[in-house]
Amino acid sequence: MEPIIHLKDVSMVYGGNGTRTTALAGISFDVLQGEYLVITGESGAGKSTMLTILGGLQVPTEGAVRIGGSDLSALPADGLADFRRKTIGFVFQAYHLLPYLTARENVMVPMSPERVPPREKEERANDLLASVGLAGKEDRLPSQLSGGESQRVAIARALVHDPPVLLADEPTGNLDSATGEQILDLFSGWHGRGKTVLMVTHNKANLSRATRSIRLRDGQVEEDRLLQSFSAEPAAV
Amino acid sequence: MNIRKLAWKNLLRRKSRAVFTGLGIFLGIATFVAISSITSQMEGAVQDQLDRFGANIVVSPRAEQLSLGFGNMTLGGTEVTYSRLTMADKERIASIHHKDRIRSIVPFLVTAADASGKNLVWMGLPAADVAGARPWWKIQGGMGLKRGEVLLGAEAAALLDKGAGGTVTAGKRLFRVAGVLQPTGEKEDGMVIADIADVQALAKRPGAVTYFEVAALCKNCPVEQIVAQIGQALPGARVSAIRQVVESRKAAVEQLRRLGFGVSAIVLLIGGLMVLVTVMGGVQERTREIGVLRAVGFRKRSIFSLLFWETGWVSLLSSLLGAGTGIAVAYIASPVFGIEHPSVVFSPAIFGAVAGLSLGLIGAIPPARRAAALSPTEAIRSL
Repeated sequence: MEPIIHLKDVSMVYGGNGTRTTALAGISFDVLQGEYLVITGESGAGKSTMLTILGGLQVPTEGAVRIGGSDLSALPADGLADFRRKTIGFVFQAYHLLPYLTARENVMVPMSPERVPPREKEERANDLLASVGLAGKEDRLPSQLSGGESQRVAIARALVHDPPVLLADEPTGNLDSATGEQILDLFSGWHGRGKTVLMVTHNKANLSRATRSIRLRDGQVEEDRLLQSFSAEPAAV
Repeated sequence: MNIRKLAWKNLLRRKSRAVFTGLGIFLGIATFVAISSITSQMEGAVQDQLDRFGANIVVSPRAEQLSLGFGNMTLGGTEVTYSRLTMADKERIASIHHKDRIRSIVPFLVTAADASGKNLVWMGLPAADVAGARPWWKIQGGMGLKRGEVLLGAEAAALLDKGAGGTVTAGKRLFRVAGVLQPTGEKEDGMVIADIADVQALAKRPGAVTYFEVAALCKNCPVEQIVAQIGQALPGARVSAIRQVVESRKAAVEQLRRLGFGVSAIVLLIGGLMVLVTVMGGVQERTREIGVLRAVGFRKRSIFSLLFWETGWVSLLSSLLGAGTGIAVAYIASPVFGIEHPSVVFSPAIFGAVAGLSLGLIGAIPPARRAAALSPTEAIRSL
C-alpha cells in the first residue's frame, strides 16, 4: 500500500551565528492511510517540530516529506497553504479559537477565503458542530464554552474540509481525564472512517487507541512500535 | 463568514484600537474638509472685500497717437480721439449681459482750469461716489463733498495755501474747501477734486466724461468677458482691465487656498502615519491569530486582504464621519471668518472622504504586507 505520509532523512536545524540546535536528525518513516499514530517523547525530543513539518508549516533543512502525493519541499507558499487547507486538519492543545467569533463562525474560518454561498458554509459548520456534540451551542462565544467544548469546536474546525490527515498537538493536555476521553472518542470515531491521525502527546493513556507509536529522543526515532492492526478504508486526498 | 465579515468582527472586538486608528483619519479629513470649505467660502468674501476696494476696469475714449513730420524732420505728435464719452454711456455700460456683476460705474472728468489764480488740474466725479471710488483717501476737515465744494490734494492745498473751510475761486465761481487729502503719492495730490457737474460747467463741457472706472465683482467671473461686453456696448471706447489689480486679487485668494491645502496636507499625513503605526502594532499583537489562520490554510493574499479590509472599514467610516464633521464645523465657524452667508460646500467633503479612504488603505499596505509575509513558522511558534 502506498504510504500517505513519507519522511526520508528529515533533519531540522535551528539557529545561526554560531548557535545551532538540532531538533530532528535524519528521521525516516512512512505512515499508511488509516493509521492512528501517536508520537511521544520528552520535551525537546522534536515532537512539535515534527508536527509543524508534517503540517507544511515549515520546511525541513534536509530530507524529503511527501504527504498525499505532494512533495512539500517543492511547493510554493500558496501551494503549502492550499495543502494545509485541503489535506491537513490541525488541532492544538490550547484550541486557538478566535475569541470574537461564535462556535459556528470559528468552524467557518477556514472557508472564509472561499467563494461558497454563506448558507452552505453555515450548514457545513452546523453539521460538524452537531457531529462533535455541540448542537444548540453554535452561537456561543469561546468564552461561554468549557475547555472540552472549545476543543470540540477546534476539532470541528479541523474537519471542515474533510482532510485525510488530522494532526493533533496534545489535544487533551488542557482537559480533565473524563473530558479528554470524550475528545479521544471523537478522534477514534473519525479514525474509524478510514482517516489518518497523528497525535503528539506526553500522555501514555492516549496510546490505548493508537495503532502505532513512535517515541522520539534527541531528534531521532528511538522506538517505532505497532500497537494494533487497523483497516485502511480508501480516503480521498 | 468571509474575509470582509471576519475583518468587521475583529474590528468590533478591538473597538478602542479601531477608534484610535480611525481617529487620525477622522481628524485629518474633518480638518481638511472644514478648512477647504471655509477657504472656499472665504475666497468669495475676500474677493468681495477686494472688489469693494476700488475699480478694476477703465473705460476711456479710443485714441491714436499720430506722429507729424516733414521729410526727415520730426515735428512731434498728437493724439487723435475718435469719439468722446458722455454721461449717457453709463447706462450703456450698465446694460451689458453681466450687469449683475458690476458693483459701480463712476464717471470722471479731468480738465485744467484756474483755481484762485493758479492753473491746476481739476478732477470731477459724482460727489456721492467719492467714498466708494476712493475708499483709501483720508480727508482732513471732513468727509462729505457736495456741489459747490472742493477737496484739495495735499500739494494743491499747499500751493494755494488753503485748508478746510477756506474758499477757492474759479473764474466767477466760488467753491468752499470741504477738506484736504492726506498725501497719497498719486497725481490727485496736486489736483482739485469737485463734483463732476461743477467740473463740466467749469470746462463748459456739459455731460462730458474723460473716463469711467468700473468695479466688477469678480468671484468666478472672467474680467475679460466683462471687458469684451463693455467694448461691444461702447464701440468707440477703449476698455481695459487693470491687470495688476486683477492679478493681485487672484494671488491673494490663491495664497489663502494654498495655506488651507498646506495645513490639510500636514494633518492628513499625520493621520496616515497614525494608521500605519497603529495597524503595524496590531500585526505584532496578532501574530498568534495570524498563525492560526495560516495553519488552517489562509494564503498570504487572504491575510493581506483581511488586514486591508479591516483598515478599509475603519478608513471608510472615519472618513465619512470626518467629512460630515468638517462640513458642520465649517458651517458653524463661518461667521468667525467673516463669511456673512455660510453655505454647505460638498466638493471638499466628497474629495475628503475619498482621500481619507485612500490614505487609510495606503497606510495599511506596509503592515498588511508584513502580516502576509509573516512566516507560518514564526507565527506558529507563538501557538
